[in-house]
Amino acid sequence: MVEYKGLDGLPEEIDPYFGIAKLDEQLKGIPSKKIVLISASPSVGNEVFGYQIISKNVNSNVKTVVFLNRTSPQSYLTEMKEYDLPSNNNLVIIDAYSGITGIKSDETDHVRVIDNPYDKEEVKSKIVSELKKGYGLLVIDSLSLLIDFFDFDYVNSLVAAIKKSIEENDSAAVFLFTDWGYEKESLQKLSSNSNSTIEIKGIEKRVIFGQYFAVLNCDWLESKQGFSAVLFKAMKPGGIKVYFPKILVTGPTDAGKSSFIHSASKNAVSVDKLGGTIALDHGNVDFEGYRADLFGTPGQERFDPLLKMLGGEAIGVFLVVDSTKPEQFPRAIEMLRKTETYGLPVVVVANKSDLEGALGKEEIREKLHLDSNITLIQTFAQDLSKVDPNEPTKLKEAGIHEALSALFKQLT
Amino acid sequence: MENLKTGLKSFDELSGGLDYRKTYALFGNKESGKEQFIYKLVQSALSNRNAVVYVLTSKSYSELINEFNARTIPINQYLGQDFKILDDFSRTNSPSMTDNSYAKILNGPVDLTGLSVALSNTNSDFLKDAKTVINIFDNLSNLLIYNNPLTVYRFLQFICGKSKLAGVTTVFSVDTAMHSPDVIETIKNLSDAIISLKLENGKRYFTLSGTSREVLDFKEID
Repeated sequence: MVEYKGLDGLPEEIDPYFGIAKLDEQLKGIPSKKIVLISASPSVGNEVFGYQIISKNVNSNVKTVVFLNRTSPQSYLTEMKEYDLPSNNNLVIIDAYSGITGIKSDETDHVRVIDNPYDKEEVKSKIVSELKKGYGLLVIDSLSLLIDFFDFDYVNSLVAAIKKSIEENDSAAVFLFTDWGYEKESLQKLSSNSNSTIEIKGIEKRVIFGQYFAVLNCDWLESKQGFSAVLFKAMKPGGIKVYFPKILVTGPTDAGKSSFIHSASKNAVSVDKLGGTIALDHGNVDFEGYRADLFGTPGQERFDPLLKMLGGEAIGVFLVVDSTKPEQFPRAIEMLRKTETYGLPVVVVANKSDLEGALGKEEIREKLHLDSNITLIQTFAQDLSKVDPNEPTKLKEAGIHEALSALFKQLT
Repeated sequence: MENLKTGLKSFDELSGGLDYRKTYALFGNKESGKEQFIYKLVQSALSNRNAVVYVLTSKSYSELINEFNARTIPINQYLGQDFKILDDFSRTNSPSMTDNSYAKILNGPVDLTGLSVALSNTNSDFLKDAKTVINIFDNLSNLLIYNNPLTVYRFLQFICGKSKLAGVTTVFSVDTAMHSPDVIETIKNLSDAIISLKLENGKRYFTLSGTSREVLDFKEID
């Protein structure tokens, strides 16, 4: 059984699973005997979804077989490594590519070779006979290439044979498919033979400025509510990360906004002078399969004209306050209003909670007039003896993670 | 916007150069001068501050760079800047080869999705920098050998449509002798304009159709 940990950090036993934030939360993994169709636009692609699903499962001891007709096994494993999604001995590859190029690969314990990838019967029988050996998961990469090589009728018969085989052998299957503009009717039939369809698309005009996935249907969940499009980035290395393009970090002067951003991010930058941020902070957060861009505002009132601009298009807010300075709390609320983010999901970060005179959680809630549904997290310096007033202070990981987790849960 | 000069004197004088934002098919038999035509075009495009995305299907990126250098075309200064290579060939022989700052190594000729994604991303990066982009396919014939022609047509239709929408100029070369007449006809139909090259009695000639200044009789290339 795979132990999947979501934003709660609580293990859930789902087997096999996507290994992709949000998908596992929405669909609770891929139950056995089920088929998932991942359909992508040709300008976005779905290959990284395949790498991630395979890597996460084989590394959780789920025996996985991938039918590969898109590239060579060696090339596939190189790509997986480049995305930092390594494989292991739990993976078996059915090589239906080398026969196309004429450069035959050798059959090994982990590579089965299809001698003639143009032979419909050999393709079908190799997949079905391999599944009898007992796999948790089958990945087809790619189903659209099979359609291009043969036709929809053959592929539908292959899907039916796979469905029967995974039902007999308690496996699950993921089909990677690129929608090159095939006939709607054929696509509908293909989709109806799957238990869930996930769509991957780009937000594009002249350029691609975002990409998203969305669960179009899923027959193993009782509730059909709550599926929404999710922005993501395919990071090399890193794989698929659910992406929040703009989260604002605001709060009064010297509350610790820069410290929060620098502690939460791998590569934060500040435009500052003598310790006080005078323009903005920016950092990329990478946490539990999620990726977010944090934008910090300057705290000084003279920069208030900037706030509205910085708050534009934010989707969530961290409001950072100094736990020792309740006199700044009205300013904190005013900043939420000025950034025009009042009403967005917010997590209050009570920083400097380890300093003498710091107020407790309940006192802060009361003085900030916080509703009970707003989360307040305390943060602490990693080492008080190393605090330099001219540099962002490194904060303890536990508080940072708690804050990120609380906001991300509200955003998904 | 002035037309895109190819750097070939007689071609530019007679045709005025290539229209931006169009899709060109470059036909010719072996030794008809397709590579020379493309290399000169790349040189001219880069020296005029355009960005070039070069898709390779029949040689490695290092062989391509060597060929530019052998022709004393200064390419190194543009590598990773305005000149990026999508190498769809090297992994056939060297499966472990990985990307560098100027060449993205793709999975091979069958993975048209991978090529389409890489092309979209590379074009997007250049377009976000307000660059005028030229896509070169050297060559389409290799894709046609490994794939069902219908698959390649659908791929062409998709990427040419996207390129036009983005204002990108596309040139793809085709080795005429390698394909049946119906394949050549379909590719012509998928293109806006056609450049044909031929070698005769030791001299190279061209025609151009589908542009504002057509050259319909074979003229010598200087």
